[in-house]
Amino acid sequence: MGMYVAVFLRIMLFISTSLMVYDFLVIQQNFIKMERGFITEFSVYISPWPGYFFIGSALFFLIANIIQYIFVRRDKKSDIKAFMSFEYNVSDERAVVNTRKAVSIAFALLLVYSLLMIGSYLYIPNYFVDHIWFPLFTTASIPVFGLLVYLISYKILEYK
Amino acid sequence: MIKNRVKELRARFDLTQGELAEKVGVTRQTIVALEKGSYTPSLLLAMNLGEVFGLPIEEIFSKEDD
Repeated sequence: MGMYVAVFLRIMLFISTSLMVYDFLVIQQNFIKMERGFITEFSVYISPWPGYFFIGSALFFLIANIIQYIFVRRDKKSDIKAFMSFEYNVSDERAVVNTRKAVSIAFALLLVYSLLMIGSYLYIPNYFVDHIWFPLFTTASIPVFGLLVYLISYKILEYK
Repeated sequence: MIKNRVKELRARFDLTQGELAEKVGVTRQTIVALEKGSYTPSLLLAMNLGEVFGLPIEEIFSKEDD
């Protein structure tokens, strides 16, 4: 199965989880604001779509993983021991080597990116009160960034 | 640096990259990378190639000083 599909589905899983949590976070924040006397009342509308989006993404991801696992089991070239999830290509020994290299590159850049994201909290401490999405989506952006770096690195190594 | 004669031997045995890949249990892209010299194979793959070409590993692969 294509690496693009695998990474896309994984990213969708992170985004859908963030969207689903976001509504809950806004309500919690409004309750805290009310407790502290900043507001006297609030009304909310919770759309069911982020939930459907999450369930759909999770189901697609699970089904795709199962299908890929069956293919990997049938393919004698595959290194079944290296199969963790279907974004990791285990189709032959070079693919496994490239996967490991791409994971190393993604990990190294993730450390730098995480540092920048944590650092960004320092500069805008008051920003979170009005824009609670910021810490949520910066957290979600960390694995998404890692996945994109992994995908790009893998593709470059594949055609090298 | 490891030099190899995979391209030459494959031509001699009249095999396509895909056919050789199938015989030794890797993808065609791995054979492409091997022929370009950008990939050093595992011992198992080297032995499989030796089996296909009917040659010992040292006649297919050799060490090249930089």
